[in-house]
Amino acid sequence: METLMVDRVQSSLRLFMNRNAIFLCERLCAEFPSELNLQLLATCYLRNNQAYCAYHILKGSKMPQSRYLFAMSCFQMNLLREAEAALCPANEPNAEVPNGAAGHYLLGLIYRYTGRRTCAVDHFVQALGIDPLLWAAYEELCILGAAEEASEYFNDAAAFRVQQQQLSESSSQNLTIGTEYQSLPSSMALGSGDTSPRHSKQLHANNTRETLSHPHGTVMAAGHPTISGPSNISQYYTPPAVAQLSGVAPPPLCRNAHLYLNAIGGDGSTKSNVNAAIQAPRRKFVDEGKLRKVSGRLFSDSGPRRSTRLSGEAAANTNSNASQLGGNGTNHSSAKYLGGLYSSSSSSKTNSTVLRSVTLRRGQPWANENFDEDNTVTTSSSMSALPDGKCLEQDKMGCGILAHDSRLTSGIREFLGLLRTLGEGYRLSCLYRSQEALEVYLRLSQHQFNTGWVLSQVGKAHFELVDYFEADRFFDLARRVSPYTLEGMDIYSTVLYHLKEEMKLSYLAQELISVDRLSPQAWCAMGNCYGRQNDHETALKNFQRAVHLDPRFAYAHTLCGHEYVALEDFENGIKCYQSSLQVDERHYNAWYGLGIVYLRQEKFEFAEHHFRKAFHINPRSSVLMCYLGMALHSLKRDEDALEVMEKAISADKKNPLPVYQKANILSSLERFDEALKELEQLKECAPRESSVYALMGKIYKRLNMHEKAMFYFGLALDLKPPAADVATIKSAMEKLYLPDELEDTL
Amino acid sequence: MATESDGEEDTAGKLTGSRHLDVDDDLREMAKKAAWSVSSCKPGNGVLALRDDNLDTYWQSDGAQPHLVNIQFQKKVKLQLLVLYVDFNVDESYTPSKISIRAGDGFHNLKEIKTVELVKPVGWVHIPLSGTDPRETFIHTFMLQLAVLSNHLNGRDTHVRQIKIYGPRPNPVPHQPFHFISKEFITYSTLR
Repeated sequence: METLMVDRVQSSLRLFMNRNAIFLCERLCAEFPSELNLQLLATCYLRNNQAYCAYHILKGSKMPQSRYLFAMSCFQMNLLREAEAALCPANEPNAEVPNGAAGHYLLGLIYRYTGRRTCAVDHFVQALGIDPLLWAAYEELCILGAAEEASEYFNDAAAFRVQQQQLSESSSQNLTIGTEYQSLPSSMALGSGDTSPRHSKQLHANNTRETLSHPHGTVMAAGHPTISGPSNISQYYTPPAVAQLSGVAPPPLCRNAHLYLNAIGGDGSTKSNVNAAIQAPRRKFVDEGKLRKVSGRLFSDSGPRRSTRLSGEAAANTNSNASQLGGNGTNHSSAKYLGGLYSSSSSSKTNSTVLRSVTLRRGQPWANENFDEDNTVTTSSSMSALPDGKCLEQDKMGCGILAHDSRLTSGIREFLGLLRTLGEGYRLSCLYRSQEALEVYLRLSQHQFNTGWVLSQVGKAHFELVDYFEADRFFDLARRVSPYTLEGMDIYSTVLYHLKEEMKLSYLAQELISVDRLSPQAWCAMGNCYGRQNDHETALKNFQRAVHLDPRFAYAHTLCGHEYVALEDFENGIKCYQSSLQVDERHYNAWYGLGIVYLRQEKFEFAEHHFRKAFHINPRSSVLMCYLGMALHSLKRDEDALEVMEKAISADKKNPLPVYQKANILSSLERFDEALKELEQLKECAPRESSVYALMGKIYKRLNMHEKAMFYFGLALDLKPPAADVATIKSAMEKLYLPDELEDTL
Repeated sequence: MATESDGEEDTAGKLTGSRHLDVDDDLREMAKKAAWSVSSCKPGNGVLALRDDNLDTYWQSDGAQPHLVNIQFQKKVKLQLLVLYVDFNVDESYTPSKISIRAGDGFHNLKEIKTVELVKPVGWVHIPLSGTDPRETFIHTFMLQLAVLSNHLNGRDTHVRQIKIYGPRPNPVPHQPFHFISKEFITYSTLR
């Protein structure tokens, strides 16, 4: 009965019938209380967004998998200390982190959000070491500004590791009947020799899990076999947006999960040994021959579909894995694997039996299904997404099994290559070396480039280069390609804000709200809409809503800060900027915001300090340089100010502001001729800017060239500046008529 | 500033105009954080009615003329426009007819800066605070006082339904002598 119940629960989970799963699982736990069943129940709760339930049932559990799930629940409930304690118990300093890469990743996130950057970096690096395909860990490293070049992580050594993992995975597959978890040593403990299929839970649970926030590629989910068949595929097919700038949105977990699965144990042989050792109680060692045959299959398996493979369906698995980033994955590689598999199945009976048995052992729930459904499974799995793989795979039917290994290798290589490019692009983008990032992204294949995530990143890079038109173009493309993507749309709304495109901005905001009313990006866009119309109070309300929806979304805090400053509430503005920096220390907009506040409050040293910090993070922004210069000028460090202005001018020829500021500084230094020269230049590129003429008028007045002064003041007034300027200019003009009587104070 | 019948007389032509609150975009409401007080009021029709954005509620004075509305700011501000909503059709003898606007640092040194006469006003009455001198587009002050000197039909008490005060927006780029108006400049002038 227990087996039956477990099976039903797992299949309910697979098919997203969460309530059914929860109910049945609760009955299961009542009838057969055991920690494994508890884990399954916790998984059901987590899937159903009820982290608090999972938290309560797993409190105090010691098994690694339980600890992992418990930590996950704590994380979702924002109980970071408990989460950390669960993953790294204080009294067992050398305990291995449950679930290897996924555990390290979660730990890294915890450290990041509790402000311990070095530890976070350390764990992310470890996670990548265990599973080189764990993109999310690399992404976090980039956000923390601590990522090495992508080629350091996604390189041949990594390829070797992945391959080893695939192989060891296959061997472990063979070895145990019950085990199935290719999970990590921690999960081993769970296995406890129980041969029931539910042990398979381990592995594939991943996919679904993370509905809520964190992108962990964790796989070894709590005892649910989640995957198998159709559900897997659909899980794979989650939206491509992986990289969350805020680090929060749920990336397609499944992908990582699978990869992780393959990555079983960690580094190459040692891990497989470990695995073997740990799983020893249940293992029987399979002979080399079988191992090899199985390895190919297992690899493609990266996930769910053994059944599909068996049935001859294109295992979208690898495709889906690859599709992680773009949805168009490396179909080829997967196909290759598949080909190998099938050929093996067709080539010999023993092979097929091995396949079957392997499948069974793999344990995941689908194992059972495989037998039952066998061919039907293939049809059921919605491989719709991956037709390519299918065709290719069928083509390769005839290849030999040994071809697998080479395909395996080349597939891994290709995948790593893709990750390398994307990783490098993302890293450069986070370092604000936007030009270089753009070049890297252009190296991607057409189908990878034309995906929501990449296009958004390209848009963001243009935004950082202050090239709002191009940014607009790319974001627009991104929206066309994947209209449901929310990531990066907050930046898009800012682009439209800068371009003063009120129609487009309000349209964007409406659309985003209709896609997901609970996303911070949608409310940021709304806020930007109101901010653009100078309705700062409403804008502030919207930004605060975004903050409530996701306190880990740094940009929402920054935007709140901007609105407070616009309302001249500097105290709250500072608070908001500081919250933003707490979430993401490298959010240079918040440093900039603080600088502006201090500039307004005339605390010039603070202003300079903050602008400098912002400049440090993004040394290519001419706007930042300009403001730094302005702060220096206010501190009367005019030489330094001029130097910075020169840098700003050369950094971006299209930016007129540093030129203007330079002229301003020069005129305050009484170097009028030079100032006028600069302003003459500006006249050419911005002929309708009244402030240029006004400043020229002012300078001519200082030089006592009254006619010229009048002329330029007149020009300035003609351009209809705001009333404040009109008053200043008219006042200056008046005084021109009375040079002898009044001191020229202007 | 001479006492004058200001352009806010509501002749048939002007009536429509003051139905709407017509304020330049480069002005913003300044008095949200100011301290508002009145010389006297009837219970239930106090000073809050002047700021509630509700044209149905009104402040009713309850004492001797002149009736005063005092607005004190936390720091010296530049003000350009004062707008009040009154309605002769509904309030008749409670409608103000002569209003004096004073400014200064506090109660001790208020000086009259403007006087206006209203003739059967219905709707928003816009009173620019500047003098004729272009240098004086704004008044720079800590405190503003609106004094209702007399009402229509010699009414004793007065009704005022809403008052708003406008001043210039600060330059989004701090410490600049002039505002930027061209697109090229504005695009690069701030980060968000």
